[in-house]
Amino acid sequence: MKQKQSPSDFLKQIIGWPVLKLTSRVLACLDGYMNIALEQMEEYVNGQLKNKYEDAFTGGNNVLYISTQKRRM
Amino acid sequence: MSVNATTNPSQLLPLELVDKCIGSRIHIVMKSDKEIVGTLLGFDDFVNMVLEDVTEFEITPEGRRITKLDQILLNGNNITMLVPGGEGPEV
Repeated sequence: MKQKQSPSDFLKQIIGWPVLKLTSRVLACLDGYMNIALEQMEEYVNGQLKNKYEDAFTGGNNVLYISTQKRRM
Repeated sequence: MSVNATTNPSQLLPLELVDKCIGSRIHIVMKSDKEIVGTLLGFDDFVNMVLEDVTEFEITPEGRRITKLDQILLNGNNITMLVPGGEGPEV
């Protein structure tokens, strides 16, 4: 099912869901600059698990994309 | 010299072109060696884009491909070029 969806709608929708980006786990909070607060974050470098963080903050200028891991409907 | 305040009606603005592409496939070339192909659901003033059924291509000698389903929000900061209706690099 496709509907016209802007970035801000997308972000409201994915809050609380597992998020696969390059480093992530559960998306807790996000602002207009794509700064992200995450819980249970796993950091992967070149496909290898490097670190785990209970609470983490990522600077938005390094974000390439934000992808959901599970379809929400 | 007077300034002409009215827009030329035959002109197609960049964001109008992107808007026309909503609902269709689009091929996005990034600043890095990466290309994204997906169905465009929406975008904002910064050309951050919401895409669906996305395939990510890493442009290496092997032409590696990663397929992601569901939806992504692509950060507009890294986009170089958009190709409406494009299918991505030949692999």
